[in-house]
Amino acid sequence: MADEKQHASTTAKGELNRRAFFAKIGLGSLGIAAVGTAGFAYQFLSPNVLYEPSPIVNLGKPEDFAVDSVTMDPNAGIYLVHTSEGYFALSAVCTHLGCLTAWNQELGMIKCPCHGSEFTRTGVKIEGPAPKPLPWLRTWVSDEGDLMVDRSTDIHPLQYLRI
Amino acid sequence: MPGKTDKILEQVEQSRVWRSIFRSGRGTSTLHRALAIQQNVFLHLFSTKVRKRMLSVSSTWYLGTLTLGTFMILIITGVLLMLYYHPSVPQAYADMKDLQFVVSSGLFLRNLHRWSAQAMVFLVFAHMFKVFYRGAYRAPREFNWVIGVVLLLITLLLSYTGYLLPWDQLAYWAITVGSNLSKAVPLVGSKIHFLMLGGNQVNANALLRFYVLHCLILPLAALLFIAVHFWRIRKDGGLYVHQSEPKRAGAVDESTLVKEAK
Amino acid sequence: MSDPKDFVAGVDSDQRRSPQRVVFVTRRTSAQVKANYEEQVQTYPEVLFRVVLAIEILAIVLVGMALLFNAPLEGIADPTHTPNPAKAPWYFLGLQELLHYFPPVVAGVLVPTMLIVSLVIIPYFNINIEAAGLFLHHRRRRLQIFYVTAIGLLVFLVAFHVYVAAVPSLIVAIAMIVAANSSPQSKSASCRYLSKKPMAWWVMTWFLFELIVLTAVGTFFRGPGWSWVLPWRS
Repeated sequence: MADEKQHASTTAKGELNRRAFFAKIGLGSLGIAAVGTAGFAYQFLSPNVLYEPSPIVNLGKPEDFAVDSVTMDPNAGIYLVHTSEGYFALSAVCTHLGCLTAWNQELGMIKCPCHGSEFTRTGVKIEGPAPKPLPWLRTWVSDEGDLMVDRSTDIHPLQYLRI
Repeated sequence: MPGKTDKILEQVEQSRVWRSIFRSGRGTSTLHRALAIQQNVFLHLFSTKVRKRMLSVSSTWYLGTLTLGTFMILIITGVLLMLYYHPSVPQAYADMKDLQFVVSSGLFLRNLHRWSAQAMVFLVFAHMFKVFYRGAYRAPREFNWVIGVVLLLITLLLSYTGYLLPWDQLAYWAITVGSNLSKAVPLVGSKIHFLMLGGNQVNANALLRFYVLHCLILPLAALLFIAVHFWRIRKDGGLYVHQSEPKRAGAVDESTLVKEAK
Repeated sequence: MSDPKDFVAGVDSDQRRSPQRVVFVTRRTSAQVKANYEEQVQTYPEVLFRVVLAIEILAIVLVGMALLFNAPLEGIADPTHTPNPAKAPWYFLGLQELLHYFPPVVAGVLVPTMLIVSLVIIPYFNINIEAAGLFLHHRRRRLQIFYVTAIGLLVFLVAFHVYVAAVPSLIVAIAMIVAANSSPQSKSASCRYLSKKPMAWWVMTWFLFELIVLTAVGTFFRGPGWSWVLPWRS
């Protein structure tokens, strides 16, 4: 009996009968269709056009920012800092979970209201759960002499813009 | 007078139309009552008989039943609220104000929806812990426990998606924080975040997506799993009966059984 | 004359003690079924009546709440201003409290995933099918594992300054030490109770305790900038 069983299984392994063949074709095509559907769903679900504000903002004349000042633009979600070394722009969006931080003038630091992260005005984390410092953003002066900030481009810290 | 209404009721229940809808027929016999459960597409998820001990409040605290109750209230109030709600920015917030001050009973319906939602989350957790401490998750009910965990997740997701819909400060920042969590997922985090919100920030797209999830996809999923959850109670042998109940007369203690077998 | 039966019919429905049952039928007898009788009632009307009653009471309570308390509605969503503190709904505040200490990938992804996975595998975790007390067998080895785990967890929590989660863990750990040093023959009833608890019970109780403490702290004791406040001094 053991021999018979073994024999039957070898033939089943060796040659494909019609039923198994069609079952495999059916399941295979279903699998291909499922992968295609997943790809299609992914494409459909990611919008191609976003009605979001432009990442480039115009902050006006550099002279409007006094030396040793931190100015927040809440609409753009950035800080413009003017130190003796020069200008730089800092993202105001907390690197932890995206809350908007606020500049605390008395303590001289940036604080996040959500989970208590604290940063210096150069973006370095002092305390709290934030995993990264606040990123520095690309800043330049336009042809009209306005300060421009690109919120979508991070630069390495301590690259001051001197005017 | 009551005799007359009884007679009319009886005539209605014996009419051909009534019998074509409710096939169990009139009567108080065990058979009729069993048929009343068995012949109903919704009630037949339950068994026709249950152990009497399970009816006591202390064995289940009726937590599952109460969770179902909150879910039903949520569906009714939710559908009504949908009639006055536009999932768009900033109309959504204006609709909230309208519900509060203009729509008759709008404030009441929104309050009821809100408190029922909070009660449902609480009851789902309470139900889970009660089931655990009773030991009702053990074989053969393992899979029903897993379905219960799925229902817990659906409940939390329902509540999370519903939280954005009023489009107030509370909603906006809670969802901002919550959706940024998905960015922390290794490798695909920002993709998930983008797909979930339909953009890079919580915006009109996100509101619409959460609305569809909250009003259509998640409730349907919940209904499906609730049906399986109830049906599995019946299939897994009814509600779990605690083992440490007093032994019935006639039951042989296992230790004596083993001794005598030797 | 005593009956020379060579088998004993027994009724046993305790699946923890006898997960598998074997039936012996000897030659001179036929199989005998002793029904495991338990009083039953009809679902209709007994159960349905109680279900409807329970839901009606619930509806009355919730309607009362809806009439008395208004759902909160703050100002319109303003991406340029984060309210301080920005709190999630209460049932997520335990998670938010953890987010205060750990990076998002730990508190927001790892911990919830582990929770869900452990909830799902609980019923398949059949190692201790008898649900015997954790420290009743292999006491020495289990105590060693327990000490290593508990001390490791506590050191980890204290190192991250998560005292909020460390205190409940410490209390549960102390209760487990009490359980390890008692037996079902102990004098005090609570010692007897604790000594009989299996591992799943301890894990779930720890989870419940942490959930309650973290949620309560997040709900009542956290103010602007996620700093400590007392709820009665708002």
